[in-house]
Amino acid sequence: MTDDPQHDDAQHDPELRALLRGADPAASLPPADPARVARLLEDVMSKPRHGEDSSTTTGENRASGTRGRSPLTWLVAAAAVALIGVLGVGALLGADDEDDVPTAGDAPAVSGDAEPSVTRLEVADAPAGRCMVPTPEVLAGASLAFEGTVTELVDGTAVLEPSEFFAGRSTDTVEVTAPSEDLQALISAVDFQVGERYLVAADGAQVMVCGFSDLATPAQEQLYAEAFNR
Amino acid sequence: MVDPAEQDARDRARFEELAPTLVEPLRRFLARRTDADTAEDVLADTLLVCWRRADQLPDAPLPWAYGVARNCLANAERGRRRQQRVAARIAVVDPPQASTAGPGHDAVTDPDLAADLDAALAALREEEAELLRLWAWEQLTPAELAVVLDISANAASIRLHRARGRLREELAARKDGRAAGHEGTRGRSSR
Repeated sequence: MTDDPQHDDAQHDPELRALLRGADPAASLPPADPARVARLLEDVMSKPRHGEDSSTTTGENRASGTRGRSPLTWLVAAAAVALIGVLGVGALLGADDEDDVPTAGDAPAVSGDAEPSVTRLEVADAPAGRCMVPTPEVLAGASLAFEGTVTELVDGTAVLEPSEFFAGRSTDTVEVTAPSEDLQALISAVDFQVGERYLVAADGAQVMVCGFSDLATPAQEQLYAEAFNR
Repeated sequence: MVDPAEQDARDRARFEELAPTLVEPLRRFLARRTDADTAEDVLADTLLVCWRRADQLPDAPLPWAYGVARNCLANAERGRRRQQRVAARIAVVDPPQASTAGPGHDAVTDPDLAADLDAALAALREEEAELLRLWAWEQLTPAELAVVLDISANAASIRLHRARGRLREELAARKDGRAAGHEGTRGRSSR
């Protein structure tokens, strides 16, 4: 066989392909009932589509979505800056040293039953800064963004079980930790509560607060939907 | 500036036209990779993403839709593995799904070969095994693989080439191992 990968396709190794096809678990799967397919599609199409026509309302949604939070909270939130390593991500990146640089929004292959992977974000002291109004444009630049539920709040760490990653490498859990004095600040900034669902974004290993990371309210969901084109 | 209502109608028509062609391949894609319940959920998730992004559906939508399904499945699997971890505390966890599970039609009938194939695929890196599955089961070309995996066509070609080589090596090693184990070996296989 020739070794020109440029012209490498099915023609090249029909035997191997046929062998693999013989092991196709879906080979005996009967076609779906057309009535069920029709119902499924109908159901999908009855759901609202996000995206179009909503950019002009985002600001208002966000404004109302962050109502009731004191300026002090925002100031404290601005002081919350993360440092740290995204350990699970590092491991995943290190696993493949070839030409594939992962891109944001690209979920990695879930391989086997390896150790549960964890993304760790830590919050540290930082000079206070000003908060900007969260916009989808800025949020879209987040290197990590996910939806997750807080399962534990223990010893300065909020443990989140992600249900969906919008950007960055997905891991089984995400832990947000803070030095003891700042934990309350972090928690009050992001309102972490056990059992609640959050949309959280990070720039590098730095948690984006100031309204970028917050409870998964409809307004917040809209912000994330726009930023990540869902 | 396009009238939003007009755009919406156009997207709707596009989805209506393309979605029915996606359902069956996506169903099979998922049936190959997860259990029936998860497959059904993820199929609905995948179609919903296609619906919401109907304006981005390419003219050849399938590889793109496989890419969406991959992401949706990865998210679902994460949840499932989480549930399994919880279950493991009180019960025995289900063994991981074998990569060649399921009764086949003209499946690999030689049990040795089937076992070899299973083991050989399992010995590959997951990315390589998935590339081979997409190539053989979904019958994608390197250009299509590139869309699914969001890599360049060139990278897809090269990796597919390499993955096939690795699979052949793994298969040969297993065949040889078995031949050596039998009495009256027929000598080393040429493949």
